[in-house]
Amino acid sequence: MSQVLNIQDGKIVTVPEVATIEEIRDEIREVKTFYLSIDNREIWSGFKYKSGQFIMLTVFGSGEFAVSLPPSPENDRFHITVRTVGKVTSALHALKPGDKVGIRGPFGNGFPFEEFKGKNLVYVAGGIGLIPLRSSIVHALQHKKDFGRVLVLHGARTPDDLMYKENLKEWQSFEGFETYITVDVSTPGWTGETGFVHTLFDKANLPIDNTVAFVCGPPVMFNTVIGELMKRGLSDENIYSTLERHMKCGVGKCQHCAVGRTLVCTDGPVYTYRQIKTLGEEI
Amino acid sequence: MNQKPGVCTFCGTGCGHFIGVENNRIARVYPSQNHPVSKGRLCVRGWNIHELLDTPDRIKKPLIRSDGPFVEASCDEAVGRLIDSLKKYPPESIGFLASPRSSNEEQYLLMKLARSVFGTNNICLDSESGHRASLNVLHAGTGMAGMLGSIEEICGAEFILVAGIDITRQNPIIGSEIHMAARAGAMVVTMDSRRTQIARLSKKFLQVRPGANKLAVLALAKTIYEENLHDPSFLEAHTEGFEGFRRAFGKLSENELYEKTGLKADEIKTVARHLARAKSAMVFFSSGISGLDEDTIGYIYNLFLLAGKIGKEGCGVNPIAGLNNLQGGYDMGLAPDLLTGFQPLADAATAKKFEKEWGTALPSSPGKPIYRSLADQASELKALVVVDHDEGIVRYADAIKKLDFVAYIGAFKNPFAEYAHVVLPIATYVQEDATFTNAERRIQLSTKKIEPEDGLLPGWKLYSMIAAKAGRAWKYAKVSEVMDEIARLTPAYAGVTHAKLAGGFGLQWPVDDKNPGGTRRFDLAKAGRKLAFYGVSDVFEAPSADDRFPFLLMVGKAQHFWHQNNLMKKTHIPMREYNATLMDYPEGYVEICPQSAKEIGVRDRWPVRVVSPHGEMRVSARVSDDVSPNTAYAPYFVQEMISRFLLGHTEVLRQGEDATIPVRIEKV
Amino acid sequence: MTMFLIKKSDVGKIAEELARDHQVYGPMIEKGSGQTFFDRADDVSEISLSAPIPSNPPKSVVFPQMERVLAYEYDRPKNSVKIEPDYKVEPKALVGLRPCDLAGMLCLDRFFMGQEFVDEVYLAHRKKMFIVTNTCVAPFKQCFCVCTDSGPAASEGYDLNLTDLGDEFLVETGSEKGAVFAAGLGLAAADDSHLARKKKIVDKSISLFEDIAVDSKAWISRVMNRVTTGFVKEEVWEYIGDQCFECGACSFVCPSCSCFNIADVTNPECEGCADRLRSWDSCSYEGYSRMAGGHNPRKPVEDRRNKRFFCKLSYSQMKKYLRPGCVGCGRCAWVCPGDIGLPNVVTYVRREITR
Repeated sequence: MSQVLNIQDGKIVTVPEVATIEEIRDEIREVKTFYLSIDNREIWSGFKYKSGQFIMLTVFGSGEFAVSLPPSPENDRFHITVRTVGKVTSALHALKPGDKVGIRGPFGNGFPFEEFKGKNLVYVAGGIGLIPLRSSIVHALQHKKDFGRVLVLHGARTPDDLMYKENLKEWQSFEGFETYITVDVSTPGWTGETGFVHTLFDKANLPIDNTVAFVCGPPVMFNTVIGELMKRGLSDENIYSTLERHMKCGVGKCQHCAVGRTLVCTDGPVYTYRQIKTLGEEI
Repeated sequence: MNQKPGVCTFCGTGCGHFIGVENNRIARVYPSQNHPVSKGRLCVRGWNIHELLDTPDRIKKPLIRSDGPFVEASCDEAVGRLIDSLKKYPPESIGFLASPRSSNEEQYLLMKLARSVFGTNNICLDSESGHRASLNVLHAGTGMAGMLGSIEEICGAEFILVAGIDITRQNPIIGSEIHMAARAGAMVVTMDSRRTQIARLSKKFLQVRPGANKLAVLALAKTIYEENLHDPSFLEAHTEGFEGFRRAFGKLSENELYEKTGLKADEIKTVARHLARAKSAMVFFSSGISGLDEDTIGYIYNLFLLAGKIGKEGCGVNPIAGLNNLQGGYDMGLAPDLLTGFQPLADAATAKKFEKEWGTALPSSPGKPIYRSLADQASELKALVVVDHDEGIVRYADAIKKLDFVAYIGAFKNPFAEYAHVVLPIATYVQEDATFTNAERRIQLSTKKIEPEDGLLPGWKLYSMIAAKAGRAWKYAKVSEVMDEIARLTPAYAGVTHAKLAGGFGLQWPVDDKNPGGTRRFDLAKAGRKLAFYGVSDVFEAPSADDRFPFLLMVGKAQHFWHQNNLMKKTHIPMREYNATLMDYPEGYVEICPQSAKEIGVRDRWPVRVVSPHGEMRVSARVSDDVSPNTAYAPYFVQEMISRFLLGHTEVLRQGEDATIPVRIEKV
Repeated sequence: MTMFLIKKSDVGKIAEELARDHQVYGPMIEKGSGQTFFDRADDVSEISLSAPIPSNPPKSVVFPQMERVLAYEYDRPKNSVKIEPDYKVEPKALVGLRPCDLAGMLCLDRFFMGQEFVDEVYLAHRKKMFIVTNTCVAPFKQCFCVCTDSGPAASEGYDLNLTDLGDEFLVETGSEKGAVFAAGLGLAAADDSHLARKKKIVDKSISLFEDIAVDSKAWISRVMNRVTTGFVKEEVWEYIGDQCFECGACSFVCPSCSCFNIADVTNPECEGCADRLRSWDSCSYEGYSRMAGGHNPRKPVEDRRNKRFFCKLSYSQMKKYLRPGCVGCGRCAWVCPGDIGLPNVVTYVRREITR
């Protein structure tokens, strides 16, 4: 890359870096995880990101899209988890291990983890809303001693729709981690909870004081969960979420992701609910 | 400076634009500020036409196929194959499906090719009869087979009726002109079953029951007549045949009219009075694939004639062509029974004129419209040549598959080519000088912007080459000579030359010795004849809902302008915009109002079953305030509807935009 | 800052000199239609300093309507990818830029180069650029730069500024680069009396603006206040939204609008090959904010209109541009098929305030 400005502030800005798909794993229906590494070793070794950030992924011959980063910034294998929602994501799903893709980024603000030290962390994820929260959860697991209680509450439509099943198992058995799972509709053989994710709050004896909550999921679930959290006394500045918007450039120029006075790519994607309320737009 | 003037070729408005070229590629577009039609405006399609003109998704090589897949061929070989295949059949068994997107020169030469080289009158436009119905009415009534008014005069009209056309979507810049007239004080009235944008921008919105447009027009005419708002001396001096029209007034009582149209007495009366008292008045209606039927158009024309609003400044009965050169297509004689300029083939003197110019006899056996042949199981049609087609053809996919031979000629890749045995590429319209005639009869020259890719011929050269190989040498040194020939044969185009059109904004036909600068609108003073009321029927079969089928389903396409989808798919931004609705409802939708949705027990995007006496289909519900209770709207593009559901309603579909099917809608 | 005088008959020399090592752009009149374009001058004598305000915004020089930013080729059998960035870097000179258009370009500069990331593609166009502005001695019909602090004379950001003093042009230098260039032309020096003449001419120009522009001067700041604080009634946005034809024209003609789309245009003859195209986009389009999968947070048209006028009229945009987003050129009113050019929007909001 002869253009000196392509790497700005440690981020690949304009020209994608070529990366290789090392492995592909099926998650749930229409969702796969892709393990990736950037081919240029020098850039790869300098490629650092924070929980809550995202990258722009190019599928050559198809297009580019924004995707959140589920791995923890430390000691976790680099990957993305993608559901097929359109032309480009479908083209990605058709690729095989060894195939090349392009990466720009990482972009976005990420979670302000310094501010969470010593606090209880509550993760509430609906369906594939667990994907953008995974990085932060694993980070919390790696630094458990820095935090109070850590709760993961995951709800999905059916048992088949539960995300990251192996991770869930691992988290369930992890010392000091409290993991609760529920499904909207049970299927034969399901012995766990049934009901929407906020119905787990009582059972989990949800902490409110000195607590930060992370909420991700479809709009209906999001609104219900936020309502329930606020009712229980959690303040809007202690509720975090990551927003998704149509994105093209990732670096605050194309403006497709404008929401209120902010751009999701540079001012977000992590927002507190207090901020979200002032954006004046639908979520 | 790198700004080349031209004409937008999406819809029939004919907006002016400038095209920028970089390295023999189209790089940008900008509106033409001083263009009399568009005055610096373009719509979403026009603003992004450079994306289409720069697409790599073109047909660039001739292709032929025997049994297996296509193989590339030389132009010589492909043309040879085309000629041999067509010559195998008697003229009655071959047909030409021409395109309302081709230039006048290309259309004319295709017509000449069909008739003088292959000896058949089986030639027609791919847009069926919508616009033809309008031209039949206007030609019979006034002698002018085109829009009677002018887009430039919209701003001077005191009263404007928009009848059953989603004009701000279909022809946005004409819609804009109407909106501007409304802002300046014109009484704009929209008559439609759906609340369209122009309905929201109108001073009055007559939300008629689906299928009752004709009755609503009748109610307006009846009011004018019975309240003596018309001018009897005008009727006496300038018209004939009013008695025939008047007979229709007595067929239905006022109450029946209100009941069947769903309109209130005061709505009708207010609008009728405004129309009659206005100094000038215009009406716009759709004239494309799903335009109004001929009888309804006859009623509209008669209403305006009764009101004395024809042939004067700011007046006009204005059919709106959805496609850029639909008007030009009829001007160029692309119909089994027509020669250029709406001259009947059956007229001996006209035929003789053509035979002399062409040096060959015209085919004597009458032609048939291609679509009718395709729909007819017993048709003799065996071989078909199709030019630059949009996607509506899927309706006849089965019939086309059964043909012995199909050739496709076009500039852009098209799913239709999959049915073909020979595919011939042509240059795009920016790669050659070409003229197009917009909805208001404005003939405009669009000059060549870039060179065609290696080996690609513009249409006029390809047709000349086919003629030459088939044994008839046409001697055109340049494309302007084709227009010279058209001018010699066509009274309305008599004064048109490329040189005269160059550098200007076009001329509205008739252009002749008497009107060297063209003719802005039909002029009563110059008509030299009485205006005839059109012979309309007095049968009113407005479809009605009943307990079993309580919804009146309208079928339309204007909202999505879907017949252009093949071109839209080659762009980025227009495709994104036009596909947005389809992506939200990938299996298509039926639009119902919130009240109906509640009664059925469904929400937006929930699946529903639509059942008619002829069949059923499954689509998503789209809940919107734009339709009234117990009416429903389905767009034309839904694959399932085109192939199965709608085919069972052929008779209903003949009614075009007024087509209405009583249905039941059920939760699935 | 230094000042010189140049004879009217000699003013063309500026463009000629610049053409030695720049691609020169300027206002030119298209002969057939009489329309002014700000475009590349293959023949600099075509540039007209007396031409009306160009119909197209000069932003197309630095931010073209459609531009290939890179091309890639994924060779499947070799499993290798070649990516070629493709930015144009020839030095450019803009001659005869109107003050409003300069203001628009400064907005773009601050936005594309002054935020968290520098936009390389824009930078490549903007690098080594020489700007010669031209004072508007009289407003054009749709102008309202007096309301948006962007004319009729430029105050910053130019290398040279020209003012037509009648028989000669006053040449003011605005940068080191401009001063060096002007000194090289061997011109007569100007003095304060010429500056005083310029001031008179500018005052005269201001007095010639249409009443509506002068009248809106105070109103525009009041409307900006309303828009910023969100105290504009829903009905007003709906009234505006109903008139929106969703054509995108207002964004395309706006000197400070910078939204773009990115599309990978694939080549049917080469699987895995594509040109990455960036092209003008508009927030008025429904598909603009629609996400893959169907969710559209900004579906109703009034929400989208609201967004654009917010961009043009809100104080919060000043953080990006250091000035209002609207530069008062009036082009949006020209091209709008509805009747919602920015001056009218100000009128509609104003009507609500005074009601």
